[in-house]
Amino acid sequence: MSEHAQMSTETHAAAREERITAMLHHYEVERFYYDEAALLDAHRYEEWLALFAEDARYFMPIRRTRTQREMDKQFTQPGEMAFFDDTKMLLAGRIEKLKSGRSWAEDPPSRTRHLITNIRIVKDDGRMLEVESNFHLYRTRLNSEETSWIGSRRDVLRRVGGSFQIADRKIFLEQTVLLSRNLSNFF
Amino acid sequence: MAFANSEIDDLVSLERGELDRRIYSDPAIFELEMERIFARSWLFLCHETQIPEPGDFFQSVMGRDNVLVVRQKDGTVRAMLNTCAHRGNAVCRAEEGNAKSFLCTYHGWSYGIDGRLNGVPGFSTFYKGELDKSRHGLAQVAQVASYKGFVFGTHDASAPPLEEFLGATGRLGLDTIALRGEMEVVPGIQKFVIECNWKIAVDNLFDWYHPQITHASAFQPNVLPSVDLRRHNDFEKIDMSGVNMQSGANLELAGSGIVGTKFDQMVVLGEYGHAIGGPTTNSSGYFEFDPTWRDTPQAKAGLGPVGLRVAGHPNIFPTTWATGAQPQISLRIPREPNRTEIWWFTLVDRNLPRETRDFMVSMANRVFGPAGVLEQEDGENWAQATAQSRGIASRRMKHLINMGVGRGKIIKEAGLARIEGLTSEHAQLWTYHSWAQWMKGLPWDELKAATTPGDCI
Repeated sequence: MSEHAQMSTETHAAAREERITAMLHHYEVERFYYDEAALLDAHRYEEWLALFAEDARYFMPIRRTRTQREMDKQFTQPGEMAFFDDTKMLLAGRIEKLKSGRSWAEDPPSRTRHLITNIRIVKDDGRMLEVESNFHLYRTRLNSEETSWIGSRRDVLRRVGGSFQIADRKIFLEQTVLLSRNLSNFF
Repeated sequence: MAFANSEIDDLVSLERGELDRRIYSDPAIFELEMERIFARSWLFLCHETQIPEPGDFFQSVMGRDNVLVVRQKDGTVRAMLNTCAHRGNAVCRAEEGNAKSFLCTYHGWSYGIDGRLNGVPGFSTFYKGELDKSRHGLAQVAQVASYKGFVFGTHDASAPPLEEFLGATGRLGLDTIALRGEMEVVPGIQKFVIECNWKIAVDNLFDWYHPQITHASAFQPNVLPSVDLRRHNDFEKIDMSGVNMQSGANLELAGSGIVGTKFDQMVVLGEYGHAIGGPTTNSSGYFEFDPTWRDTPQAKAGLGPVGLRVAGHPNIFPTTWATGAQPQISLRIPREPNRTEIWWFTLVDRNLPRETRDFMVSMANRVFGPAGVLEQEDGENWAQATAQSRGIASRRMKHLINMGVGRGKIIKEAGLARIEGLTSEHAQLWTYHSWAQWMKGLPWDELKAATTPGDCI
C-alpha cells in the first residue's frame, strides 16, 4: 500500500469514528427527550421536574408579528414579558397546583402528545450541550377542544452521570396571538 | 331595529339582579353592541410609552376596526383606521414597530405616518392628476386623547371629552396605576383567545366570590410565592364528584390575601358604567406587591380620602380592567359572541431598582396571562359558562347577579358614589345596568343621566 493510500484510509477511519461519536451523542439526547416527553404525556410531572437543574430557567417569550426589517425584535427577551418565565421553584409550584385536586383547567386532564423532532446539537463542550429541537404539542380537552402548538426549543443540557439535566430551556412558539384559552401544560 | 328599549330593559333586571342569557350568544345583540357601545365609547388603545419615537406604532382594536396608533413627528399621537382609502386593504400588517410610511401592498398607495395620502402610482398617467389626494388619507379616529399616558380613542365625534367620560370613577381607576411613579409598559403584550362572551370576562373582574373556588389550586404553598400559606393549611377537601360545599365563602385563608369573610369591600359606581369592586386597604384581602406608593404626597393628593382606600378592581366601561396587585391593564376584546381576546399590558415605574422591576415582571407573568396560575382556570370557567348558556332550554334560565341586590346603600362623598360592606355583586349589576342603557342608543346626556348612581342598588 502506498503511503498516500494508507493516510487516506486513516483519515477515513477517523472521520467515521467522529461520525459514530456524533451519532451516539445524538442518540443519547434523543433518548433523553423521548423519555422526557413520555413523562409529560403520562402526567408524571414530579419525575419530569427532576430532569431540571436547580438553577434552571424555563422561558417562553412572547412573539410579535413584525415586519421583515424588524425580525430581530419579534421575540421578547428575559426581563420583559413572557408566557412562561419560571425558575425550578416556580415550576414546582405549578406542579403543586396540578396535584392539588382542584386545578380545574386540568380536571378532567388534558390529553397531550409531545412529538419531538429535528434535534440538532449546536454546541458541545463535553460538559454542556446546546440543543435545538422542534416540538408539536397536541392537546385535546373535554369533547371539542383541540390545540396544536408547534415551535422550537433551545436547551442547555448539562451532562450529569450517564444522562443530562436541563439547565436552561427556551421555548419559541410559532403563534403570536396565542390561539387557545390557556397554557396549562408544559413544553 | 330589532330591539325596542323595553326589550332591552327586559334583558337586565336591576331589581331582581337577573340577566337574560341571550346577551351572551345572540348574534343580533352582538351586532348591536358593536354599533351602540364599541362605535361610541372611548376605548383604551395603548400606553404612550409603547410608542416613544416618531413613527412608532401599535396596532389596536376598536370594535371590529383595526387601528394604528402612531407617534407623530411633533410628539402627538394619532390613531387611524388600518384600511386603505382605495380598496380597503390593510396598510400595516405588523402588531407593532416603527414606520416611515404605510404602504398598501395592493396598488401601492402610500401614506405618511400622519395618515396623509402621499403616493398614488399612476397619478398623472392613469388618473390624469384628477384624484384629490387630500380627501383620501387614512381615516382618522374621530377623537383621540391621553389620560396620564393612557391613550384612548372613540369613533364618535360627539362623545364627551375623555376626562369627562372617565369621570371621577374612571380617573381613579387609572390613577391607581398612574400615581405609582413614572409608569412605562414592559415590552410584550400577552394576547390570547378565550371562547367566551366578553361580558362574562368583564363581570368576573369584580368577582371576589369566585377566587376561593376557581383559584383554589393557586392557594397551595409555593404556587404564589408572595403568599404565605404555611400557617394556613386549613383547606376544605374538595371532591368534584358529589361534594356539598357550603363553606367556600367562609374559608379563612388569611394568608392568601384574597379569600375570606374578614373583608372590607368597597364598590364604586360611576357614570357611563365605570365601576370598581373589591377590597379596601384595611381589608384582609388587600394585597399589593408594593403598597408603599400610597404613602407618597402625590398619591394622597391624587386619590383623595376615598380613593386612597380603594384596592379593588376598576373597569373603565366597557372593557378596560386596570388591576393593581401588579399594575396591569387587561383588555377584553369582543371578536364574536362566543370569542374574546384578552390583551395584558404590564406597567412598572421606570425608576424602580432592577431587582424590584424583575420581580414585578416575573409575578405578572406568573399570576395572569394564559399560563398564569390564576387565569388558567378563569378561561375554563368563562368558556363553559358561555357554552352552557346557549341551549334553547338553558337560555330560558337567568344568570343571577343578585348577591346583595337592593341592599347596596350608596354613599356619595369626595365626588364618588360608593357602597361599603362584604362581597356583593353590585359592581357587576351596575355594569350590566349601564350596558343596557348603552344598548338603547341614548343621546350622550340621557346616557349619562341613566348611568348616574341613585341612592341604592
